[in-house]
Amino acid sequence: MIVYLGIDLGSTTSKAIILDPTGEIIGRGITNTRSDYNVAAEIARMEAEFNSRFSLLRRRVEADGGSPVEWARIFDLLDSRFHFLQYLSRHERLATAMTDSIKHDSSRADLAERLQAALQQTLEAIRTRFFDGQVNSTSQFFRDLFSATFMRMIDKFDRLTFDRLVSVYDRSINPVENQIISFDFAELTERSLELMPAETGIVWPLIRKYLREVAAISLDPTDYIGTGYGRQLLPFEEKHIKSEILCHALGAHDYFPETRTVLDIGGQDTKAIQVDEHGLVTSFQMNDRCAAGCGRYLGYIADEMSISVSELGPLAMAADHETNICSTCTVFAGAELREHLNLGERKENVLAGLHLAIVQRAFALLARSGGARNEFTFTGGVARNAAVVKYVSNMTRTNYGELTINLHPDSIFMGALGAAIFGLRRKGAHA
Amino acid sequence: MNYTLGIDVGSSFVKFALVDYGEQPEIVEVINEKIRKRNPAHVAERVVAELLERRRLSFDDLLYVASTGEGELITRKRGHFYSMTTHARGAWHYHPEIRSVADLGALFNRVISLEHGARVHNYMMTGQCASGSGQFLENISRYLGLTLDEIGPLSLESRNPAVTSGICAVLAETDVINMVSQGIPTPDIIKGIHLSIARRIVRLMRKLKIESPVALTGGMAQDVGLVAAMREEIGESGMDLEIFPSPNCEAAGAIGAALWGGYRHFKLLGVAA
Repeated sequence: MIVYLGIDLGSTTSKAIILDPTGEIIGRGITNTRSDYNVAAEIARMEAEFNSRFSLLRRRVEADGGSPVEWARIFDLLDSRFHFLQYLSRHERLATAMTDSIKHDSSRADLAERLQAALQQTLEAIRTRFFDGQVNSTSQFFRDLFSATFMRMIDKFDRLTFDRLVSVYDRSINPVENQIISFDFAELTERSLELMPAETGIVWPLIRKYLREVAAISLDPTDYIGTGYGRQLLPFEEKHIKSEILCHALGAHDYFPETRTVLDIGGQDTKAIQVDEHGLVTSFQMNDRCAAGCGRYLGYIADEMSISVSELGPLAMAADHETNICSTCTVFAGAELREHLNLGERKENVLAGLHLAIVQRAFALLARSGGARNEFTFTGGVARNAAVVKYVSNMTRTNYGELTINLHPDSIFMGALGAAIFGLRRKGAHA
Repeated sequence: MNYTLGIDVGSSFVKFALVDYGEQPEIVEVINEKIRKRNPAHVAERVVAELLERRRLSFDDLLYVASTGEGELITRKRGHFYSMTTHARGAWHYHPEIRSVADLGALFNRVISLEHGARVHNYMMTGQCASGSGQFLENISRYLGLTLDEIGPLSLESRNPAVTSGICAVLAETDVINMVSQGIPTPDIIKGIHLSIARRIVRLMRKLKIESPVALTGGMAQDVGLVAAMREEIGESGMDLEIFPSPNCEAAGAIGAALWGGYRHFKLLGVAA
């Protein structure tokens, strides 16, 4: 079928969007960016392709459904099992790599036995942890899930074991993460069905009825555009590359045609963009090369606290006030965080202070780009963080009065969406 | 025995020095304990208790307990000294001929000029950004999957150092990833990073117009690659400075605190040791 692909290779996450010829999104894919950009782009694309097949499958079974079925729930369950199986195969590869790494480290052969025992015990405990619900396509990636749990679990070992296991992990994660693992959609879906709760068995025949057909549909894109921080490193010709500022603006405009200002807080770039009524950029500002004021700041804080990024927002929302954070620099803020905690301040309050600090930095940038105008759209991975959204709303009201603030669950995909629309428009014009 | 104890609380290590403070003060024991996200005050309490037990001492046998660094948190102490003064004293103990000290710490780099022995004449330190700090170097080595003691020797192997500008300690991960994906050999990446850190420190040295010889303290002073890069940068800058890592460089602050503690104790008593 005719589809258009947009890929946004961000510094932290890589996103892919697949559009059908009417401009409707049929697939979304996201993964963490890794040292091999081609792998990151390819995994995001594969994710979007699987996601598209699930959309197409769902369209068919719903049309054929007969009695009302909670298809949203069925497909959520199916999707989480599908991702769990993918998670598991990467877990096994990492387990092998780490085991081998200890085996081949002759410098500390005396420790090998002790390390292997500690490692196997930890790996076994992690293996099935993410079976239900926690692995899904939009918020948690293998590396984050694994490393947060791993670090927390090995903390109980003695210092030497801990240090060596951290180093074993560091050595092993990159090569494993940079492997592309191919999965057969039909086969993996079959295996996912077998892991479904028995009570859903009634709908399996219907899913199986269309599975082969949907798996066989060609989803090779008619046109594709790459954008984002790493776009120049994609193996794409120049005509398949577009600036991320243009793509973000167009993606936001597609959802919210009345938008005039877009604030995108991404992993390593924060962008404040002013757009006209056609979604074209009139001015913009980007942060300098500093992690303060962009998503990586929160990522660093999460690492410092040994929690995952998605836990930060909810914790900060439970604060009763914001602890004053004096440092700008991310590393210093991390040290300040620990000082506050050691002095007995509630972690919720310290986190609230850190969230406020990042929004203040972003608003300085926004002011330089020309301020916020109606309608104001807030996008980027950080827009999924409820505490950040709260401070963005408060500061918008304080600085610019009552504006309509647009938020969208797809906000992290705005760049990829804009890119896909550029592809669609180009082919549309040729047709 | 005139035991004094110095405790230097850093951002990733707590350092301890037990000193026998006599005519010729003697460094009896040095301990570097990684904090690993624990409360430094608790870490200190435990390590001190173990130290005393091992030495069959009671807390009251210590003439003076001094803290430095972020050591305000330490509960059972008699005094607190600023890091500049303790690093100066800790390095001067081993090499009384030094005229300056550069403390290459986890969060800050400090350059200190001395007068009348180990007294601080003047100092300068890095500001509001952790680029070029020990934490920065630690992050880089983690991104490369190396331990801190591996990076020095690797750096020395570099033939063609990568060119890096001052980069954010956190965003450096991406810069390193980019360098790796461009196929730049690991030694060249590390040497490039070492040179960029060295440049910052040497700039401070030049601004403060320090004199030779210079002792290097702090954790990064153990990094042979960084020291070599600093020598190159000093050569480039046209200064004539001899630099060398101070013995027990990581614990220099704790040693200095214990020594100043002994000095103060006897001064308060009105007698010389």
